[in-house]
Amino acid sequence: MNTEPKPIDPEKEKRKIKAVGRMKEIMTGYYIEAKTAEQSGKKIAWITSGGPVEPLIAMDVIPVYPENHGAMIGAAKMGSDLCEKAEAMGYSRDLCSYARADIACAPINGGPIGGLPKPDMLVCCNNICGTVLKWYQVQARHFRVPLFIFDTPFCHTEFSAEARRYVRRQVDEYVAFLEGVCARKIDLERMHQVGRLSLAGQRLWQAVLDTSMHKPAPMSAFDAFFHLALIVTLRGTQTVVDYYTALLAEMKERIENRISAVPKETYRLLWDNLPIWYRTRWMSDKLAAHEACLVADTYTSAWCGTMKYIDENDFLGSMAEAYSRIYLNIGVDEMAQNVIAMIDKYAADGIVMHSNRSCKPYSFGQYDIRKIIQQQRDVPVLLIEADMVDERSFAESQIDTRIDAFMEMLK
Amino acid sequence: MKESINMHEFQPFHDIITDPFDYARNWKETHRRKIVGHFCSYTPEEIIHAAGALPFRIFGSGEAVSLSDEHLQAYSCSFVRSALADGLSGKLDFLDGTVFPHTCDTIQRLSDIWRINLGMGFHTDIGLPVKIDTDSAGEYLKSVFKKFKTELSENLDYTITTADLKSAAHLYNRLRRDMQRISDLRRENPSIISSNDLQALTKASMIMDREAFSQKLAAVVNGLTEKQTRPDKSRKRLVLSGGICNIPSVHTLIEDCGAAIVWDDNCSGARYFEGSIDPDGDIIESIAQRYLEKIECPAKHAALFRRGDALVNIVKTNRADGVIFLFLKFCDPHAFDYPYIKELLDKEGIASMLLELEMPLPSEEQLKTRCQAFLETLA
Amino acid sequence: MITVGIDVGSITTKAVVLRDGKIIAEKIAPTGYQPQAAAEMVFAEVLSAAMLPADDVTTVVATGYGRSRVSFAGRSVTEISCHAAGANFLSPAVRSVIDIGGQDSKALVMDATGRVKDFAMNDKCAAGTGRFLEVMAGALGVGLDAFGPISLTSEAPAVISSLCTVFAESEVISLISKGARRRDIIAGIHAAVAARVVAMAVRIGLTPPVMMTGGVAKNIGVVKAIEARIGSSVIVSAKAQLTGAIGAALIAARPGSSQGSGIRSQGSEEP
Repeated sequence: MNTEPKPIDPEKEKRKIKAVGRMKEIMTGYYIEAKTAEQSGKKIAWITSGGPVEPLIAMDVIPVYPENHGAMIGAAKMGSDLCEKAEAMGYSRDLCSYARADIACAPINGGPIGGLPKPDMLVCCNNICGTVLKWYQVQARHFRVPLFIFDTPFCHTEFSAEARRYVRRQVDEYVAFLEGVCARKIDLERMHQVGRLSLAGQRLWQAVLDTSMHKPAPMSAFDAFFHLALIVTLRGTQTVVDYYTALLAEMKERIENRISAVPKETYRLLWDNLPIWYRTRWMSDKLAAHEACLVADTYTSAWCGTMKYIDENDFLGSMAEAYSRIYLNIGVDEMAQNVIAMIDKYAADGIVMHSNRSCKPYSFGQYDIRKIIQQQRDVPVLLIEADMVDERSFAESQIDTRIDAFMEMLK
Repeated sequence: MKESINMHEFQPFHDIITDPFDYARNWKETHRRKIVGHFCSYTPEEIIHAAGALPFRIFGSGEAVSLSDEHLQAYSCSFVRSALADGLSGKLDFLDGTVFPHTCDTIQRLSDIWRINLGMGFHTDIGLPVKIDTDSAGEYLKSVFKKFKTELSENLDYTITTADLKSAAHLYNRLRRDMQRISDLRRENPSIISSNDLQALTKASMIMDREAFSQKLAAVVNGLTEKQTRPDKSRKRLVLSGGICNIPSVHTLIEDCGAAIVWDDNCSGARYFEGSIDPDGDIIESIAQRYLEKIECPAKHAALFRRGDALVNIVKTNRADGVIFLFLKFCDPHAFDYPYIKELLDKEGIASMLLELEMPLPSEEQLKTRCQAFLETLA
Repeated sequence: MITVGIDVGSITTKAVVLRDGKIIAEKIAPTGYQPQAAAEMVFAEVLSAAMLPADDVTTVVATGYGRSRVSFAGRSVTEISCHAAGANFLSPAVRSVIDIGGQDSKALVMDATGRVKDFAMNDKCAAGTGRFLEVMAGALGVGLDAFGPISLTSEAPAVISSLCTVFAESEVISLISKGARRRDIIAGIHAAVAARVVAMAVRIGLTPPVMMTGGVAKNIGVVKAIEARIGSSVIVSAKAQLTGAIGAALIAARPGSSQGSGIRSQGSEEP
């Protein structure tokens, strides 16, 4: 075997995003802090990806995301093994693979980082799905820690006055819950600050994603999947604002220097649903070989999609609507209009929809969304059936063929 | 095969549930009133009935389910797929409207797909809370029911009065009490009514004209109370637990293996007629209160061990020898609760078996073998 | 006491005669299209081999997929209960049984007396059954009988991860075209079967010692793969194919068995 170091390809080097190193640093530091929280005396909260993290930040509680852990498990290709373990515990194979993997991890400290630090509390917001309710109930029974459920009624066609009142009351209940677990009052001044930082972070994230409107796109959805981590996990901190400020600057620089995500971008595609975490590289290379770039996606844009509902000067008061109106908590027809708006905004030539076995709210309705898109925009849609974390549900040669056939259609 | 009661007495109920669409169409023609479809035992039927309409529970006929493939992936439960197929194939054209209380993720998306693709009258989402154990959730639920009453009045062009609601509550209390009475009688002597017949009665109670049903039900209760049948102690006593059981043959199949089903803890079973409405106070709030108090569907949240403890209680109260879980494949809420509930049962030394079902049932033989094997382990 | 157990399987029908706890005769014959006729014939043959008239038999218990077709049986009992009793007879220390047949696979755990404590069945899906192996043998152009020995020579089993037989076949074809070695592919196939079946067994608390029954027990590759998966050795009896019939005969001899608390076979008389 050849033991010489691989020669550096200057083209590839140029194309690499420099901020990646900083992200890895920040996330490593974040996980270390979380895993050593016992020493610092900080409390740990497990929270859902769509959950209101800002009050946690304001109260110096470290937020930990089992879903982010799920993505890491997928990327580390540890998903099928952990899902199998969950099945041995009695959990049906048809359940969400994030949940199965996390439930299997907890008793054995499995996964790529030796397990998540034990929570002092669980915060579950069901704006993304009903599965998180069940998942967090399981973990509440397992860890025997307090569980807060932030119940955001589904907005099929509206955010009703009744729902608004209900969710607003729960914001107060949430704060009271945190004050109880932490045994101290929230600092409203700090909360105000965190709210402003959250909004600033979201604006920056949107600006970063918007750079892909440029032809060619300086970054792809695969890059977005990676750089997403901070806006999800540490929204409301200065770290996030600093990071995306730098990332935005780098994207603008790339545009100036004509550095694109895909060397020859001929086809611009939109991605729908969660990533296939254990095949992002494979898919990225495959599409790039077809001169296709995933210029935008509905998943990463979900963390800056409801800014318009937030009142910067009253974050706590206005967050009810923002958290209730996220992309997965609205009707299928409204989702279709959002996708059409993205097609126009990013000048997409086609859509790739991941029919994700693990995510029913995201996947059911895709067929109707596809129909609406094809009626209103006449843009071809490729459907890929897989799972975000459980590799056993990924049939490579079938999907390979589908992608090829789709690209042939576009050419 | 033994029949425990004169088969003719329950035949009308069997006929109705075998072709509920036919019944509904005839009823509509005869009475010239409206029919409102729904899928869930959290639907405030009392309010629908108070508006002079027939609350019609949709179970999914299991025919032409492939029609749903155009709108739903294969990893959706067969109940939703068959219900959608019924809508798409025109079988439900008699509906004047459909209401969707918030339940699980799949029903949530079914509502959108239904609204976008089907046009049978009005469409109302009843945005129930997922939590039922906090004051704010209770208040919200009540406000949602009040809103529903207003919307329904508009949609059906009928102003629902307090008197209407009280009368409906009274009727439903009677229905539920009578169904409960039959369950009590059966507990003492399962031979008086086969589970298949009781299931037909229960399903019919979700489809038939409620007044007419109430009268027939009273007669059934009298008949069963007076019935003299030698109790058969040889059969093993089983509790069924699950969600929607829309496979009619399952009950017969299980009992034919030599068991007696003594409690049906399904959404389409006993959970439907659990509890009663307090006639005093604000009637909408009383109606809502019953939904807050009954043992929750796993898609909802109350205390962490509430459902499991309730099941253990049910097993003990009914002196059951074991539990058969009847889950539809792809029903997430039930599947997530299963391991902890099984653990509770194991701790109590209560035997259990899990059956994952699909509509239509792929094979009765396999089901029979499993049930028989389970009973053999109880011997 | 003389009892007979008849196991009517989809491919073969087996009968065993038990006298006072000892096997005195056994017979195996193809089932063909008529389970009733096959059962009658095998019953007659096994009695003849035991040199006993039918009247000497106290009870006949039928098991297997065709069990309800055996009109002359006093009772029908599922293969699950029969495999437990049979395994206990063949090897009293056994506490779990894994049975992989042509169309289904089962796992059970039992107590020291051979009674079933819990069981699991996979009867909906080809993956993890003999059918899976047949499909793969077809894809590889290798005789199924050769699977076992060939797989034992592999040092690096291929990984086949699909849960679906059809997709797994695609994976195998893909491996062939990439030049993977036959022995490694076959070992991978066996590992996949073992993974499926053991996953099912673990859910019910698989406890060693484990016995394997059913046609696939003849495949040494699958047996080894299961052993590797569970981390302990698996017992395969020379009489593996007769396990169900033996169990049925034993159950027929249990006190209270002639009371008929199980299903009455079709055509038999009501008490």
